[in-house]
Amino acid sequence: MMEAGRSHFWHSDGRQLSGLSTLLLLLPFFAIIAFVFVYPILQLLVISVLEPHPTLDNYARVVENPVHMRVLMRTLWTATLVTALSVVLGFPVAYYMSRAKGTVAALVAVCVILPLWSSVLVRTAAWSFLFQRNGLINSALMALGLTSEPFKLLYTQSAVVIAMAHVLLPFMILPIYGALRSIPNDYGRAAAVLGATRLRTFLEVILPLSLPGVVSGSLLVFLTALGFFITPALLGSPQEMMISTLVSKQIREVLDWPFAAALVGVLTVFVTLLAIVFSKTLRFDRLMGNAS
Amino acid sequence: MKPPTDRGSLALGAYVYAVLAFIIVPLVIVIPMSFSQNDYLAFPPSGFTLKWYAEYFDSRQWRAATWLSVQVALLTALFASVIGTAATYAMIRGRSRLVTVFQILLIGPIIVPHIALAVGLYLFFQTIGLSGTIPGFVLAHTVLTLPFVVFTMAAALGKVDANLEAAAMSCGASRFQAFRLVTLPLVLPSLASSALFAFIISFDEPVVSFFLSGVRQKTLPRRMFEDIEQNLTPVIPAIATLLIVLSILILLGAHVLRSRSVTR
Amino acid sequence: MNIASARQSATGASIRISRLEKRFGAVSAVDGVDIDIAAGEFVALLGPSGSGKTTILMSVAGFEFPTSGTIHVDSEDLTYVPSNRRNLGMVFQNYTLFPHLSILDNVAFPLKMRGLRTAERHARAEAALATVRLAGYGHRRPNELSGGQQQRVALARAIVYQPRVLLMDEPLSALDKNLREDMQLEIKRLHAELGITVIFVTHDQSEALTMADRIAVLRDGKIQQIGPARQLYERPTNLFTAGFIGEMNFVDVAVQSVGDDISVALPWGETWRLPATAAVERLAAGEAAVLAVRPERLQLGAGSPGQVVTVTLSDIVYAGSALLLIGRLPDGTEMRARIPGASQLSSLAPGDVASFTIPTEAMLLYRGKR
Repeated sequence: MMEAGRSHFWHSDGRQLSGLSTLLLLLPFFAIIAFVFVYPILQLLVISVLEPHPTLDNYARVVENPVHMRVLMRTLWTATLVTALSVVLGFPVAYYMSRAKGTVAALVAVCVILPLWSSVLVRTAAWSFLFQRNGLINSALMALGLTSEPFKLLYTQSAVVIAMAHVLLPFMILPIYGALRSIPNDYGRAAAVLGATRLRTFLEVILPLSLPGVVSGSLLVFLTALGFFITPALLGSPQEMMISTLVSKQIREVLDWPFAAALVGVLTVFVTLLAIVFSKTLRFDRLMGNAS
Repeated sequence: MKPPTDRGSLALGAYVYAVLAFIIVPLVIVIPMSFSQNDYLAFPPSGFTLKWYAEYFDSRQWRAATWLSVQVALLTALFASVIGTAATYAMIRGRSRLVTVFQILLIGPIIVPHIALAVGLYLFFQTIGLSGTIPGFVLAHTVLTLPFVVFTMAAALGKVDANLEAAAMSCGASRFQAFRLVTLPLVLPSLASSALFAFIISFDEPVVSFFLSGVRQKTLPRRMFEDIEQNLTPVIPAIATLLIVLSILILLGAHVLRSRSVTR
Repeated sequence: MNIASARQSATGASIRISRLEKRFGAVSAVDGVDIDIAAGEFVALLGPSGSGKTTILMSVAGFEFPTSGTIHVDSEDLTYVPSNRRNLGMVFQNYTLFPHLSILDNVAFPLKMRGLRTAERHARAEAALATVRLAGYGHRRPNELSGGQQQRVALARAIVYQPRVLLMDEPLSALDKNLREDMQLEIKRLHAELGITVIFVTHDQSEALTMADRIAVLRDGKIQQIGPARQLYERPTNLFTAGFIGEMNFVDVAVQSVGDDISVALPWGETWRLPATAAVERLAAGEAAVLAVRPERLQLGAGSPGQVVTVTLSDIVYAGSALLLIGRLPDGTEMRARIPGASQLSSLAPGDVASFTIPTEAMLLYRGKR
């Protein structure tokens, strides 16, 4: 045997790759992540503290300027509302999906998964049609006699919240579905036969057991909502910016790079910290729509 | 005595179907609008015309943007599925201690806001001249799609018994032959569907494209963004309809692939 | 509901299942089943999968409503009463202990649902755990217990509120063999102690035979036979039960005459006269019939009273307490014999022709072909 005398590092048996092949196969992945992901983000963070000269002034500007603070607070509040709306809308769907069978199950799954794989722009554009002065919602409200004047819906905070909840709903539904799906049917039956009403069964058994899914989905929606750009940019009011639209403005109009970098720094650090704190509950592999 | 009507289930069902309508109606609504004769996007749509589709296909700008996006998405699908599969295979079969680093780097592009990556890449690519170029878009999109390729491939490769390759090698195959002749055919459907997903993610990707697009080189999402932001013409519903059809085709493709998969 | 006084009066309830039918689309899962269960009786529902045994249990538990028919417990019609108001105990196949609750809280769960105070329900849960010999395990989590312990906790949880009926859905099938036998005894002991009525679903006939007072054999949603173990084993009322319970040899025969005794023609040309009591079902001359005999009823050698058959042996299997001899009758029909006390038979070898005597009273006749 040629390899017999060589070090463990080079040895390859039928089940495991040698250290060298492992390294070679991983190299492109690490290279592209390092250069196209890690480096640009780090560079931004460096700029945010080093330019125009080494200082935390850029961050001070974020915190001290009440306009910018309001943008941060609005971003947090919007993400919270979007998350809450997604839970309220998403949990029952996930529950129904986890208990459905056959054609119904397939239908619900398609309704949940198709939007996930269709363009965010398409979905945002659709909402801008719906929210227009003469769009479907105003037409319907007026036809029903609920209002004589069309409401201003487009370019409002409500429009942003509703459309973002719509875009992010699959991220809520799929983790909850995954958690509910792993609860055997017999648990609900056992609770019932032991004397629990439907409500008690839900509160005492189903909800506690599905909580990891709810937390995972909520985090995912919340974190994504914090940095969401397209929907606030197209449906939101320029007077009520979110952090991402403020960043875009700083770069495209004001050309204030260090300040934009500081804004990105605040966002990135906050999101990353949250993700680290909750790293145990986040389950990303459920996002592929192959939760079945 | 009759079985009692189940009001709870009925109420749940009604609520769920209302939410499903909330999910689906905004997607479906663009379809009738794309055939409407109205120049402004009023509801309800009236008449029937294909002129918005004609406008899309006749416009040089739309065609150029679409062609750019197609090129970028094809190359991204190729890159991401090859790099992602290689890395996943190494993580599953290798004796690497890099698992933790790998997982953190994998989750990074999902967790870190796209706006942050977009701004960072905008700055970086400007200095090295990749901004607004096909390689620039492809590199950025590869980073964004890699996690999805890896999740899909990890699920597929995890189901292939390592002993199969050991058996092939005991029959005289080299490590690479064992992979190519045994493992690869088993995970091919998953590989194809991860490439499909990488394609659609790249093709629809709006944020990074928004910042990386130059004055000339604009991807389809970037052009759509401008059109929605500025003048919202009925070309948008027509393009949206085409994109939804594309999504459905890709999902159908992935479904067919999964049903053929031996390792599902 | 007075739970406090229930302990003293904990006797089982009678159950009457009448003309129960459950259809799923065009398929009848349960097709007109009648079972009367006496208070305190232990009844096993035995059948292959898809026989409807589980559907019957689900209907009694209230997880499914029957298409037609009624279920009474004592004199109360429970057919369409929701599960949580039936006050039945139930043990599931996979324990179904709630993983987020401690063992004590699991056992106390039904008491909580019945509005008992924390202190009292914990005291009762402790007592129930002691009944299943798991006192002191209350603070643990379900996943810290073995399968057998988990199933005993499930049992404690099912009896802690003194239900008068205990439903068990293949409760032992997830356990390995030794544990299963321990649990069989444990359940028997509890049944005797509490006097509770038990419906026990299983596909394991030895479990049904050892545990139940009566066994209902089900097939395609219909009851094939219901009776005590001995009756089912000694004199199955139809060909299905005969083949389903225990081992049985079957030989196709033709009925020649029926009178004070019955004469049948065997495939290899012999004619046997059997007593009229051998016919389990009504037979007529000229009909095809099946002769059934248990392998352990065959005796090696000719001599003792009965019919003698010659068997060409193909396999001789040492099976511990008995020797299993497998061979073919002159017409090729397979015949098995289980001979206890195997040592003196060591001279037999495959290919040998051996004579066996079948005692007349060991033979049963059914209509039809095997």
